[in-house]
Amino acid sequence: MTQNLKLTLTAGLWKRVPPFRLVLGLCPALAITTSAVNGLGMGLALAFVVTMSNGIISALRNVIPGKVRIASYIVIIATLVSIVEILMKAYFFPLSEQLGIYIPLIVVNCIVLGRAEGFASKNPPLPSMVDGVSIGLGYTISLTLIGTIREVLGAGSWFGHAVFHESFEPLSFMVSAPGAFVTIGVLLGLQNLFSRWRGEKFIQG
Amino acid sequence: MSEIVRMVVVLSLIAGICSAVLTMANQGLAPQIEKQTDLYVRGPALERLFDKPAREVLNNKVIIDAGDSEIPVFYLKDGENVSTLAIEATGKGGYGGDLTLMIGIDLVSSRQTGMEVVSHSETPGLGARIEEPGFRRQWQGLPTEQEVALTGNGGQIDAISGATTTSRAAVGGTNEALLFLQNHKEEILKSISEIEEKS
Repeated sequence: MTQNLKLTLTAGLWKRVPPFRLVLGLCPALAITTSAVNGLGMGLALAFVVTMSNGIISALRNVIPGKVRIASYIVIIATLVSIVEILMKAYFFPLSEQLGIYIPLIVVNCIVLGRAEGFASKNPPLPSMVDGVSIGLGYTISLTLIGTIREVLGAGSWFGHAVFHESFEPLSFMVSAPGAFVTIGVLLGLQNLFSRWRGEKFIQG
Repeated sequence: MSEIVRMVVVLSLIAGICSAVLTMANQGLAPQIEKQTDLYVRGPALERLFDKPAREVLNNKVIIDAGDSEIPVFYLKDGENVSTLAIEATGKGGYGGDLTLMIGIDLVSSRQTGMEVVSHSETPGLGARIEEPGFRRQWQGLPTEQEVALTGNGGQIDAISGATTTSRAAVGGTNEALLFLQNHKEEILKSISEIEEKS
């Protein structure tokens, strides 16, 4: 049991890490990672939603009739997302302005729905919540990493603090859309290269 | 049959509980959200109007019921008397929707201290130029008893070239605030003194 939980917990950090190995949730990963703090905020918001929705859906998995399960999941997820949105407006107003439409869009985030359908609907609440935490953490770390790379190279700062000497000329393309594709592509390639070198078995997607 | 009934019941129950939770969260956190909106959205405009850090003036706020809408009014005291007001107004009919404005009123000299834009969605480079000091400065020192108007209509305000609609909305919003001041001045001062007594 504990062994299984541990496996579930670590899976989200490498074997199932969302934007790279699962290749889900790319829309926010491309759009909002212009700075490390945005990536961190988005990741934590998603981690909260996926953990809570996994827990609730798994607790209700025997009550919800199969034919209306997706509708029920969406209602539950939408409620959680709205709560996150209200909380952010109340306590992290500037961040919520920055993330804008991407917070409400967590409702249709494939990671959340994918974990609900693929894991929470088949497992008891505790492992489901552990799975949510692990996927959420994996997503948070990945988004913060992407945000860090883009912010450091594109704006010469990290979490808003300058890291380079004043003479550094920022590569401004890194904070615009092409920079996001390049960063994610390179990171994805590196992860695959590393996995292949270690002889890991993996299926992309 | 029972399968269908179960589906309906379960889905309705889930939806009902979710709405209840959301309503609670929304109502419970509304005051906190209002505070944050004041600080981050209205704050910069108030800072320029009052020439003071926003945190000092944000608590000087009264909300006046003006029939169909509730209008937030911020104030500043000079000794015992209320010296300056900032009245929020809506400039209807901007090019990209309504503008939210803040009109500064000096009660001692009965003159306007300025017009600030709280939020707008005008075209960058055209209507969005209402934010520029050059345009907003025209409000300083205008009398509060007289309506403002664009120069084309014999008034004092030069419209932004290429953005007459936006300029007209700003002027309209100002006149609304001035009218509101004329009709509700006593009420505003009364609410302010009530609030001051409490604290």
